[in-house]
Amino acid sequence: MLIAALRRVLLSCITLVMLTVFIFIATEIMPGDALDVSLSADEIAMIPPERLAKMKQDLGLDRPAPERLLSFLGGVLTLDFGKTLISKTPVTAIIGYPLRNSLILAGAVLLLAIPLALTIGIAAAVWQGRAIDNIASTGAIIGYSIPEFVIGTVLVMIFAVAWPVFPATITASTNDAALTLLAASPLAVVTVLIGSIAYLARLLRTGMVDALAKDFVERLRLTGIPEWRIVFLHALPAAIVPSLTAMALYAAALVSGIVVVELVFAYPGLGQELVRGVTRREVHVVQAIALCSAALVVALNFLADMAILALDPRTRRA
Amino acid sequence: MQQASNPIIECSGLSIGYADMLGKVARVVDEVSFRLGPGQSMGIVGESGSGKSTLARALLGYLRGGGRFDGGRLLVDGIEITSTTFTSIRSLRGLRVAMVPQNPLASLTYHMPVGRQVEEVLRSRRGLVRVEAERRVVELFAEMGLPHPETIGRRYPHQLSGGQRQRVVIAAALACDPALLVLDEPTTALDKTTEAQVLELIQHMRVARGAALVLVTHDLNVVADVCERVLVMKEGRIVEQGLVSAVFRQPEDTYTQTLLGASLDLSGAAPSVNAGLKPLVSVQDLTFRYQQSGWFGPKNSTGKPTLDGVNLSLGRGEVLGVIGESGSGKTTLGLVLAGLIAAEKGVLMLEEQSIAMLAGKRQPALRRRIQTVFQDPLSSLNPRQTVATAIMRPLRHFFGMNSKSAREKAASLLADLGLGPEFLERYPRQLSGGQQQRVAIARAFAAEPDVLICDEITSALDASVAGQVLGELDALRQKHGTSVILITHDLAVIWRMASRVMVLKDGLVIETGATADVFAAPKDAYTANLLSSASRVRRLGQDTTLIEEPLAHAV
Repeated sequence: MLIAALRRVLLSCITLVMLTVFIFIATEIMPGDALDVSLSADEIAMIPPERLAKMKQDLGLDRPAPERLLSFLGGVLTLDFGKTLISKTPVTAIIGYPLRNSLILAGAVLLLAIPLALTIGIAAAVWQGRAIDNIASTGAIIGYSIPEFVIGTVLVMIFAVAWPVFPATITASTNDAALTLLAASPLAVVTVLIGSIAYLARLLRTGMVDALAKDFVERLRLTGIPEWRIVFLHALPAAIVPSLTAMALYAAALVSGIVVVELVFAYPGLGQELVRGVTRREVHVVQAIALCSAALVVALNFLADMAILALDPRTRRA
Repeated sequence: MQQASNPIIECSGLSIGYADMLGKVARVVDEVSFRLGPGQSMGIVGESGSGKSTLARALLGYLRGGGRFDGGRLLVDGIEITSTTFTSIRSLRGLRVAMVPQNPLASLTYHMPVGRQVEEVLRSRRGLVRVEAERRVVELFAEMGLPHPETIGRRYPHQLSGGQRQRVVIAAALACDPALLVLDEPTTALDKTTEAQVLELIQHMRVARGAALVLVTHDLNVVADVCERVLVMKEGRIVEQGLVSAVFRQPEDTYTQTLLGASLDLSGAAPSVNAGLKPLVSVQDLTFRYQQSGWFGPKNSTGKPTLDGVNLSLGRGEVLGVIGESGSGKTTLGLVLAGLIAAEKGVLMLEEQSIAMLAGKRQPALRRRIQTVFQDPLSSLNPRQTVATAIMRPLRHFFGMNSKSAREKAASLLADLGLGPEFLERYPRQLSGGQQQRVAIARAFAAEPDVLICDEITSALDASVAGQVLGELDALRQKHGTSVILITHDLAVIWRMASRVMVLKDGLVIETGATADVFAAPKDAYTANLLSSASRVRRLGQDTTLIEEPLAHAV
C-alpha cells in the first residue's frame, strides 16, 4: 500500500516536471521569444534594434534556451513565475486571486453537484428502466448537451431580467472575501452546476448499473440481505471506483475550463485572466495559468488514484 | 427435522418463462415436478440452457430479469413460492434456504474483508450483535477447514485461493443453519484437487447439519460423489429422475446416455501408438516465466517458471494429449508452440530444424504449418467478418487462391465439419458455440497445417456437441495427416483422441507415455489423482455394494 502510494507520488512529480518543460518549450522556444510574441509587428517596427536587444538582455532572453529552462524550472519550484513584460507586476500577484476565485467556484459547484449526482445516479440505477430512471437519464442528456452559455443566458433572462432576484453580472470584486463572492454569483454557480450534475449523474448511474449486475449482489439478494445494505455498502464503492478518474479530470477541468461561464457572468476567475493574458500577450501569465491547470489535473488524478487504492484492495499490490 | 412425508421441496408442474421485448414468453423450465425430503440430496444435471440454474434460483424465489412463473406449484419449506409475497420469500432466504453460486471470486464483494461478509449475514439475518457474530465467524471458518480462522477473515477475496473463497461462500450460506442448501456449479471454477476437497466439505456439512441439498452441475462425477437422487434436464424438461445409482447404471433416456457417454469410459480402447514415427516437432528444455511489472515496464523476474524444462516430441500424424490442472502451464505450452510468446530458454524444432520462437519472426511458409484452435471460439473469430471471410483469408494469404476457388474450398472445409454452404454468409454471433468452434477448426485446416494446437477446444461446449466436434476433428486430422497437440483438462477427450499423453504439473512434465499405459497404471500420484477424480461416475456404475446402502433411508 505504502509502496504503491509512494510510486504514484514519484510518477506524479515526474509528470509535473515534464509538463513544466513542455509548457516552457511551447511558449518560449517555438517561434520567436517572449518579447517577439508579446509585441505586435507594428510595435517591433517602431522600436530601434539596439533598444530591442537591450530589452531582451534585461529580460534574460539572450541566454541559451537550456539555461532559461533551468531558471524557469527553478522559478516554478519557488512559485515565482516572473514578472509581466510591460508593467513588471509579479505574475503571482496577478493570478493569485483569480485562481482562488476559480477554486471557490469549482469547489462550491462540486460540493453541491456530488451529493445531488450521487442521489440521482443511485436512484436511477436502483429503479433502472422505471419512470425515475427515464426522467433522470433524459434530463442528464439534455443538461449535458446544452452549452453553458445558453444555460447562463437563459438563467440571466429569467432571474435577472424578467424576474430580477439575482444580479445579471457579478458585482463583487476580485479580492473580496470568499462568501461575498459566492453570495454575488448564484447564477454562475447554478449554470455550471446543471452541466456538472448531468455529467456526474450519468457517470454514476452507469457505474451503479454495472455494480448491481455483479454476482456478489445476486448472492447477497439470495441471502436476504436488506437492499439498502446491498446498494450502499456493497454496490456503491464498486460503482465509484471505475468513475473516479473521470470525476477527477472533470473537477480539474472545472477550475480551468469554465472560461465561457466566467465571461458570461464576468466572474473574476482564472478563465478571465487567461483570456486577458492571451489578448495582452503576457507570456508569463499564460505560462503560469497553464501550469496551474496542469498541476491541478495531476494532483486530482493523484487523489483519484489514492481513493482507488483505498476503495479497491486489489490495486494495493504495488 | 421434519418428517419425510412433509418434504422440503414439493414442485408440481412448475413452469418458468422469460418474456422478450414483445411480451412473448419463452419457457426455460417446462412443467417440472419433483419432491425432495428433508436432509436428502439431489443433483440437477443438464447442459447449458437446460433451465437447471433457473430452477435452482426459483427455489429461493429468485428469477433473473424478465423471468416469471408460468404455471404450476412450488412449495419450499411450506411456502408457496409462485404466489407468495416478497416479504415471506425474503424470510426464507439465507435463513431456511441458502445459495452457493458458481464463481466464488465474483460472488464475494471484492472491497470487503471476507470475515465481515459472513458477519453481515449473521448480524443482518440472525440479529447477532457484533461480538457474537465475530466469534461465530471464527467458528464457521474453523468448521469449513480454513487455515488460521481467527485472522483469515481480515483478508480480501483476492488474497484467498479458489478453494478458500468457496469455503467462505459456503460458510456464509451455512451461517444461519438453513434447511436447504442450493449449490449452483459449486466446483466448476476450481481445479480437480480443490474440487475434491470442497465436495468432501459439502458432503460433511450435509451430514453434520442435516440440511437438504440441491446441487446443480454439468459434471456427472460431482453428482456421483455427493447426491442420492438425480434429475436430468434438457430444454427445460425433466427427461429422467431417480436414484443416482439406478439412473447412472441404467439410464433410460437417450440424452442421459449421451451425457454419461461423454464422461470418462476406460472400457473402450485408446488410440494405439504408432511406433517408429519420425518426430515432426521436438521441443527441448523449454522454460518460460511470465514477467512481473516493475516500476517502469516489465522487469526480469526470478519467480517460479510457468514452464520448467519441458521436453516433448510429436510424430507425423500423431495426437499428443497434454493434461494438467489449471495453472499447470499447459495453455502456456500451447502459446509457446504456436509462437505467440517466446520462451526464455529452450529449442523449438520442426523437422529437425530449429525455428524462431515468435511466429512473427518465422517465414510465412513456416507459420502456415503450425495452426491453433483456441478455447473460446467467439473471441477468436472477428465479429465483423463473415464465416467465408474468416476461412478464405488463410487460403488467399498462404496459397494465393482467387476469390472463387477460395470460396469453394471454404465451403468444402465447412462440409467436412457438417456445416452447409449457407453458413458462409453468417457472422460469428449468429452461430451456436459448436458451430463457431467448427468454423475456427475449418479456418485452421484451411492453412493445411502440419501441426494443429488445440487448447481446450471443447470445454466451452456441451457434452453432446463436444462429442460431435471431436469426431469431425478426428476425421479431418486423419484425412490431412495432421499432427495434433491436444491440450485439455478432460481425460475423456484424451482417451478418445490421443495415442500418447503428457502430464504437466507446475510447469514440469510429470510423466509421458502411451495413453493406455498411463491411464491403466499411472506412475505418479498426481496423475492417479487426476484419473480417479474423473472416473467416479464409472466406478459408481461398476460398484454395486457401496451405493445401495446409504440410499435405503432416503427414498
